Amino acid sequence: MNDRNRTIALGLVVVIGIACAALLVRRLDRLRPPDDPNAIDESLYVNGKTARRISLSFNGLAADWYWMRSLQYVGRKIINDNDVPLDNLGLLNLKLLAPLLDTATTLDPEFLDPYEYAAIVLPAINVNDAIRITKKGIDANPNAWRLYHHLGYIYWQQHDYQAASEIYGRGAQIEGAPPWMEAMKAKMAADGGSRATAREIYTRMYEQSADEKVRDMARRRLLQLDSLDQRESLRKFFAAYQARAGRCPSSWKEIEPIFRALRVAVDASGAPLDPSGAPYVLGPCEVELDPKSEIPAK
Amino acid sequence: MESTAAITHSTTRTESQHGKLWRIAAIARNAFREAVRDRVLYNLVLFVLLLTGASVFIGELSGGQERKVIVDLGLSAMLLFGVFIAIFVGVGLVYKEIERRTIYAVFSKPVGRGEFLVGKYLGLCLTLLVNVLVMGVGVSLALLYVSHGWDPLIPTIWPAVLLIYMELMLLTATALLFSSFSSPALSALLTFMVFIIGHFSADLKSLANSLGGSGARWLFTGLYYLLPNLSNYSFITPAAHGRAPSLGFVFATALYAFVYIAVILAAATLVFSRRNFK
Repeated sequence: MNDRNRTIALGLVVVIGIACAALLVRRLDRLRPPDDPNAIDESLYVNGKTARRISLSFNGLAADWYWMRSLQYVGRKIINDNDVPLDNLGLLNLKLLAPLLDTATTLDPEFLDPYEYAAIVLPAINVNDAIRITKKGIDANPNAWRLYHHLGYIYWQQHDYQAASEIYGRGAQIEGAPPWMEAMKAKMAADGGSRATAREIYTRMYEQSADEKVRDMARRRLLQLDSLDQRESLRKFFAAYQARAGRCPSSWKEIEPIFRALRVAVDASGAPLDPSGAPYVLGPCEVELDPKSEIPAK
Repeated sequence: MESTAAITHSTTRTESQHGKLWRIAAIARNAFREAVRDRVLYNLVLFVLLLTGASVFIGELSGGQERKVIVDLGLSAMLLFGVFIAIFVGVGLVYKEIERRTIYAVFSKPVGRGEFLVGKYLGLCLTLLVNVLVMGVGVSLALLYVSHGWDPLIPTIWPAVLLIYMELMLLTATALLFSSFSSPALSALLTFMVFIIGHFSADLKSLANSLGGSGARWLFTGLYYLLPNLSNYSFITPAAHGRAPSLGFVFATALYAFVYIAVILAAATLVFSRRNFK
């Protein structure tokens, strides 16, 4: 066998060998038993402090890895239910999220995004973890006013308006904090449970967050608040209609002319549209969100 | 007459110093060429691939934190690749010359053993400098790419790059010291251990403070001061947050590195001078 033939033969062995190996991998994938669905929730082997110790100079990179793992962990859980808002993931059994975010922030205490994520996502899973991690962030970054905003948001969600007001007040003292932090302090103390306060908090969250998912969650919550206002008006309208006609409207078509006169946006069936553009569903003197609407029901 | 003798003596000394520097520079140049011939700088290709991949794909995975991840990844890779070069090339600097018996040819010329060691050391430091500079430019370009223009993190990574380079210089000197009296495998292992322990310096100190027995306390305090404190050179994470060290801090770490390297090279020369090559 001359040199040229030997080269060709060896090249063929390489190409055919790789093709055979790929085919074998496909076969093995079919034969292998399915992955344990609970494996994703396996506890972390090392806690944050140990991870920081063994990471040598690479703690920043390790923190990035834990952060990306947190996002992947949540992403895999919501992959089948994309419509769940980020602040309402309590049913997804995200028991590993708090340890992952805790480790990421222990490895790199100045990394602010995991604190923000903890403040938004964790209250629906374990509010104590959410408060603990956000407070840890404030201790490590006392000049990051955004963290006070996030902690205030957690307290507001728990209807602890006094604590929320206090936190907004502390955040407002920080150099560079926007003037609305001081306004939020007053609003929380005087009118914490109102829809106006909720609108204010989500508007600020939408404006300030760099995370696309958090901004989307805030946008959907703002749409929900608008929808609540609309539904309230529609219910009042139904009550007036019932008082006058002695019955509830049987279809949207029946009341479509009134909506058109009031310049309310309606679809082809005469149903008024919610702020996201989906038609409302008519019940007996009641109005409900379309299940396909992107506005969260809760 | 006396002054003429003094001038002659001084001239001879200056010429001798000049010759010494020239010889060290020649050995350093050769060590650098040898590293390039050994394809040490090929690691840059891997680095470029890593950064390119990170720049393109990391945005999807990091939730908008690609700039931080690029700085962390780039500078960590710079340190890791540099440590591997410092250790694995460093421990072979002297050993290869002995193995190939080229050291006899070198020492048949008027070259001192100290000059030989310092020249070899500076040659590898030059290789590492080229490596670190190219990688620093690579990280800066990746930041320019992901930010679609100027990024405020670019000026803050360079002090961290300088600190990484100092750490690599310290490790290279350590590798050279170990290789002056032991085998390459053992030298690599010992240098790697110094790298790890060097990052645990703070723990050594707190361990010493927490121990009751005075003997153990003295031992760990001694180790704390004896081993290089490499945690001072870790500025990757703050750099990723746009924080640069103060000029005073950089100067102090540079001075520490200079003193420590001088000590290690002096010790290596001492050991190497007594070595018998017969």
